[in-house]
Amino acid sequence: MIAEINSIFSELGFVFAEGPEAETEYYNFDRLNVPKDHPARDMQDTFWFKDKDVKEPMVLRTHTSPVQARYMDAHKPPIRVIVPGKVFRNEATDATHEAQFFQLEGLCVDEKVHLGHLKGTIEYFFSKFFSGEVEIRFRPGFFPFVEPGVEVDMMLKNSDSKLANRWIEIMGAGMVHPNVLKESGIDPEKYSGFAFGVGIDRLAVMKYGIDDVRDLYTGDLRFVNQF
Amino acid sequence: MLVSFNWLKDYLGDTKLTAAQAADLLGQHAFEIEGVVAKGEDFVIDVDVLPNRSSDSLCHRGIAREIASIVDKPLATDPLTNSPELTETDLIEIDIKEEEACPRFTASLLTDVTVKESPAWLKNRLETIGQKSINNIVDATNYVMFALGQPLHAYDADLFPQVAGKWRFCVRYAKEGETVELIAEGGKNEARVVELTGSELLIVDQSSNRPISLAGVKGGSFAGVHLGTKKVIIEAAHFDPVITRRTARRLGIVIDASKRFENEPSRELPPFAQFEIIKLIKDIAGGNNEGTVDKYLKAAQQPEVTVSTDQVNNLLGITISGEEMKKILEQVGCTVKLEDKTLVAKGPWERTDLKIAEDFIEEIGRIYGYEHIKSVLPEKISLNEINKKHYYSEKIRHVLLSLGFSEVITSSFRKKDEIQLLNALASDKSYLRSNLKQNILEALDKNAPHTDLLGADDTRIFEIGTVFQKDKDNYITEHTTLSLGVRIKSSGYSGKEDGVVKTVLEKVAEELQTTIDWDLEKGVAEVNLSELLEKLPEPTSYEAFTAASTISYKPFSMYPSMSRDIALWVSENTKADMVEKVLTEAAGDLLVRTRLFDEFSKEGKLSLAFRMVFQSPEKTLTDEEVNGFMEKVYTAVAKEGWEVR
Repeated sequence: MIAEINSIFSELGFVFAEGPEAETEYYNFDRLNVPKDHPARDMQDTFWFKDKDVKEPMVLRTHTSPVQARYMDAHKPPIRVIVPGKVFRNEATDATHEAQFFQLEGLCVDEKVHLGHLKGTIEYFFSKFFSGEVEIRFRPGFFPFVEPGVEVDMMLKNSDSKLANRWIEIMGAGMVHPNVLKESGIDPEKYSGFAFGVGIDRLAVMKYGIDDVRDLYTGDLRFVNQF
Repeated sequence: MLVSFNWLKDYLGDTKLTAAQAADLLGQHAFEIEGVVAKGEDFVIDVDVLPNRSSDSLCHRGIAREIASIVDKPLATDPLTNSPELTETDLIEIDIKEEEACPRFTASLLTDVTVKESPAWLKNRLETIGQKSINNIVDATNYVMFALGQPLHAYDADLFPQVAGKWRFCVRYAKEGETVELIAEGGKNEARVVELTGSELLIVDQSSNRPISLAGVKGGSFAGVHLGTKKVIIEAAHFDPVITRRTARRLGIVIDASKRFENEPSRELPPFAQFEIIKLIKDIAGGNNEGTVDKYLKAAQQPEVTVSTDQVNNLLGITISGEEMKKILEQVGCTVKLEDKTLVAKGPWERTDLKIAEDFIEEIGRIYGYEHIKSVLPEKISLNEINKKHYYSEKIRHVLLSLGFSEVITSSFRKKDEIQLLNALASDKSYLRSNLKQNILEALDKNAPHTDLLGADDTRIFEIGTVFQKDKDNYITEHTTLSLGVRIKSSGYSGKEDGVVKTVLEKVAEELQTTIDWDLEKGVAEVNLSELLEKLPEPTSYEAFTAASTISYKPFSMYPSMSRDIALWVSENTKADMVEKVLTEAAGDLLVRTRLFDEFSKEGKLSLAFRMVFQSPEKTLTDEEVNGFMEKVYTAVAKEGWEVR
């Protein structure tokens, strides 16, 4: 599935980037405009490493977003990347939540990038991925590393899928926060960018109609061999 | 936060909106809505107020103000419009030692109050939003917090010692080893005594220098209001959000009051809250207002932010005029100057979140409506980088899938390994995996019994994933590995698997045009992919992706399957799929798979052997039940004139 996602985004020139799963607190939080002792840290329950095992405070990354900062540190705009990868949340597991799951991050930074580009890109991706006509809707949302931040809903149209013709909450997104650009040495007066993050498991669940996301990680072939 | 629609209407006035419509507007323009439910004569809207708006909107007035902004109609009643007129008193003194940590502290004194049950309307309001009624004074403090977002605390003034006829509060940091006794937690009878480290901010009774409250986090049991209380002191203050949050996290306290202080409500808010609560207490508990002390040491200035109209349109991808932008910002309560193409805007005093240009751009975008943003596909550009790991992982996947392997994704957590997490989810998941082969071995043990069910001769699986080890300095390091395993017999490792794995790895090496080092044990091999990638050439383009067919997943049964073999003599011109059809129809619904596993001709006759697999989604099948199904199969076979071998 990651190959299929990569194939769609590569048509638009999005590069496949990656970063470590054991991430520094600095990249996982501080560089994404989530300072210490800020209530926004409550949005993600975090697995921490023991002090003796690390040179600086480290976590199992809670999102693929730190790769945004890492990539921007090393590259100048125009930037277009996707980052598929495993992420971890210290949460109890149930049929729709896993403590480990796959996320897809997208980032596009250039002169005059706006929310309409975000909408166009997401629409392009989903219509290819779900092979059908897709409508996208934004609602206000909050993620510390974007401003404005939006929640993205999608509606599959003209399809006989059981998911068709209703709004489905699918991802979080927004315009990259100027602090995040500045920290990477990118001038927010000159450049702007959009970013989005979507659970790949959620995409799989929707595309294939899976009941329990935990099945994805059991290595049970009664499940795996259906794909 | 649970919100009462009737309560909102106190501020909205006459509104044509239904609760569902109000919730929908909030969802499209302001917050996330978790649901709307009817409760008696009222509706409860569950509003998820996100961190950036928790400073002003964790209260009914804030949510009502938001609806008013969206529909562009001012609030009929706004408790935050007029500066409250409070009587002063010199009966209370406040000594703030830390003006950064506590820039404002207010306290009011009311005498001759009657503590009793709250009136029905108040009990009902609190109950509607899931709050328990305690007594009229405590309920009043809660009511005003849920109305305006300012936490308050009530003391029994007769239990609060005076010095020279005055009540004296002090706000200072704790001393190491000091203790404070907090109000009993929900469901517990005993007060909690907390030992302090020195980083906590305290409210202290100056007569005895005794800590009476963990400022912003939780009130103490000191001078609690009870049914005999006659005089009350009401406190409303502003505390530093970071200090509040640190103390609250360290002690594991998350209550409505601490949550609000952590999110930095405006410093202007306390006197408004005092005004409301004095009015309310006089109304429901009687008594006299003796006045308020307002110690305001450090005001916060709302920033004036300059935004160009081009910046607004360029970031949102819309084209609206400066006049329109100005109007929208005024709708949400900002003061705005528009000169040529420049807006200079200042948020209303309660909106401590409006600090930079992008914050104001978001206000314009969400009130204008994100539905007006048109999709624009960014111009396609050529791909300037190929991901080496992804490229070669795909090649490996391709080879392995063609050799009958299935890809699995196993857990990164293990019961025991090299690196233990500081805060694990469960004791059997507290370590990170240092290799994949152990997981693959376990997956083989789990999957081999299903070999028949899946219609395979053996079980072949692989995984590509990250593993965590310690480097030579004992620090964490991670790399990617490939692990693959084969199991022939469902009873366990037979010894023949290693040969199969070696052949497969040689095929992979051939495809990658390299040599591979592996570590092989019990039919499971592991290859350090990060190391292997280093010696492979940089790819120049991805291979075309071939989309898988449209498939949908079916839930699988958790109960074991049972297999039976049947071998038949049929005439030489009989088609195997026709035979299979007869068998399948006769066997019934619990037959989940049929596979032809042997076929040969002898003396003008054809021998066909099938394995039939039965499984129930509801229970473990018994031998008798499966024999019953097979009886039906034998009957059908006899009817066709086929001979069972």
